Amino acid sequence: MANLLALIQNETLKVWKKRRFAVLLLILLILIPVFVYAQMKIAQNSAEKFNDDWRAELQSRITDNTNALSSERIPEEWKKWRRALVQQLQYYLDHDINPQTPNAVTFTLTFMDNAVTLFIPLMVLAIASDLVSSERSTGTIKMLLTRPVRRWRILFAKLATLTLYVSLIIITTVLICYLISGLVFGYSGWDAPVFVGFQVQGADVDTTGVHAVTQGVYLLMQSGLVWFSAMVVSVIALMVSVLVRSTAASFVTMMATIIAGTILSNMASSWKSAKYLFNVNLEISSYLRGTPPPVEGMTLGFSLAVLGLWGAAALIVSFTVFTKQDILN
Amino acid sequence: MLGVMGLGEWIGMKSSSWLWRILGWTTLICLLVMLTGFGWALKDTWFPKDGLALPEVSPPEAATGGDWNAKEELFVTSLGDSLTKGTGDSTGEGGYVARVIEDLAKQMDKPVYMVNNLAINGLRADQLTNRLDENGFKNAIAKADIILMTIGGNDLFQIAQSGGSMAEGGDISPELLLERLPEAEPRLKDVFQKIRKLNPTARIIYVGLFNPFYDLPEMTSSGSKIVAEWNDYAYSLAKADGNATVVPTYDLFEFNLKAYLSSDHFHPNAQGYARISDRIVQALL
Repeated sequence: MANLLALIQNETLKVWKKRRFAVLLLILLILIPVFVYAQMKIAQNSAEKFNDDWRAELQSRITDNTNALSSERIPEEWKKWRRALVQQLQYYLDHDINPQTPNAVTFTLTFMDNAVTLFIPLMVLAIASDLVSSERSTGTIKMLLTRPVRRWRILFAKLATLTLYVSLIIITTVLICYLISGLVFGYSGWDAPVFVGFQVQGADVDTTGVHAVTQGVYLLMQSGLVWFSAMVVSVIALMVSVLVRSTAASFVTMMATIIAGTILSNMASSWKSAKYLFNVNLEISSYLRGTPPPVEGMTLGFSLAVLGLWGAAALIVSFTVFTKQDILN
Repeated sequence: MLGVMGLGEWIGMKSSSWLWRILGWTTLICLLVMLTGFGWALKDTWFPKDGLALPEVSPPEAATGGDWNAKEELFVTSLGDSLTKGTGDSTGEGGYVARVIEDLAKQMDKPVYMVNNLAINGLRADQLTNRLDENGFKNAIAKADIILMTIGGNDLFQIAQSGGSMAEGGDISPELLLERLPEAEPRLKDVFQKIRKLNPTARIIYVGLFNPFYDLPEMTSSGSKIVAEWNDYAYSLAKADGNATVVPTYDLFEFNLKAYLSSDHFHPNAQGYARISDRIVQALL
């Protein structure tokens, strides 16, 4: 046990000293102000247009989407999505709840929702992709594997380190998002209500299970789900990193897979069996809000199962290969 | 100890263990928070509890009524079908509604705000009546000093061809329509009454229908006759209401269909909307 802890300590410090996390921090500090500024402009525009009346703004979103529904040029899938959206917005309006209260918590929620498919995977890949392959390219893997430590322990230490850093990355993203956007939108909003439990069935939204939670609780749940999908991405990246020699190759492979997933999500409605791919299931946090899934019939349980199976398979491959493979040159 | 390791190495070890302690604990706490969030999300999805108690629905902001000249600002709400939506206006200025607001603000020299444009393409009067039960419609109407509306065109068109939307064209039978006009009229009455119930003080402007098929010989007189009868009925409703009026538009298009209709040969184009807007402003001031 002490042995394993020492290994984890070693791995954690190695990642830290490579300044990967510092780079991520820098990226966040540069990117988030850009988004905050854009969001501020949007908020100013709509406040001017709707005279600070959120009900009018919400109703306008409803009528806009309703109008888009009547157009025959819009594909049927988009219509379904819009119909569900209209019903949800109507539910908010009927209960006199503003779904977009202007504050830092709302901003953070929206940012995380949008970040889960690309931005968060990108950040965790920066660490996950070279965890094993960098040892190979620098040759340190030989030193590592000639120590009197079982190989699975080494990989397990790397996995544990990865888990810790993924958690750290997500919390850091949330915190930076909240702190920076708060400067503009104010730091309140933790207790503002948000509805969860919409059941999307085809074009209809079942509201029987809908209940309100505070945005604070919502943020916690959302981050937890984002964390899970980030973990699956990083476990798969760990496998690629075991299989591929160069860090660049392993990073590009993973990034291509993730990007393919976001493209596929938009097309998956026609290719139903795409729902068994892990990269189409990454957006699990959207189930909370009740956004219609890429393929009809997908649920939180389904996506978790798919992600879980992919993650487990990746772990099995990683450990099998890593403990058996020969290290040449 | 120092002798064996060397000073630099020893300091390095020291700062490493210090860094590890901070990093280890911080990341561990982050992990625990994430696990809590994940678990909570599962529990909330599969075993939901009763949610948060919600605040009471606050009553909509009501218009104050009274003399427009004495007010500092005016609120306009518009509702109805594609004509109010501004379909066909390729300039993107938003049909007649935006122009009315702009002109009113200019001529009255005070801010005139649009509360909302609630128009929906293809809307019929009976559908509008149902929509008027929705909170969004209630709020926007209650707040308005002026309500602009076009409705009924889709009703007539669908009765005439029994199905299909008005932009689709196709065969329509004026005889059938004239015969069944009394079916549609009560729908308009419901709309007027419901709006008045939601807002006792607002001025209602009903923009009358025009005959977009004036240039088709078989529709010139029969179509215009139906339109005239409908507008007449609307006028009687407006009179009964007392604070409503019908702004006629049929004459604007009769001899100049090509110039003022958009390419779909049904909705006005930008110039057509500008002329409707001029009429409305004249009726209001």
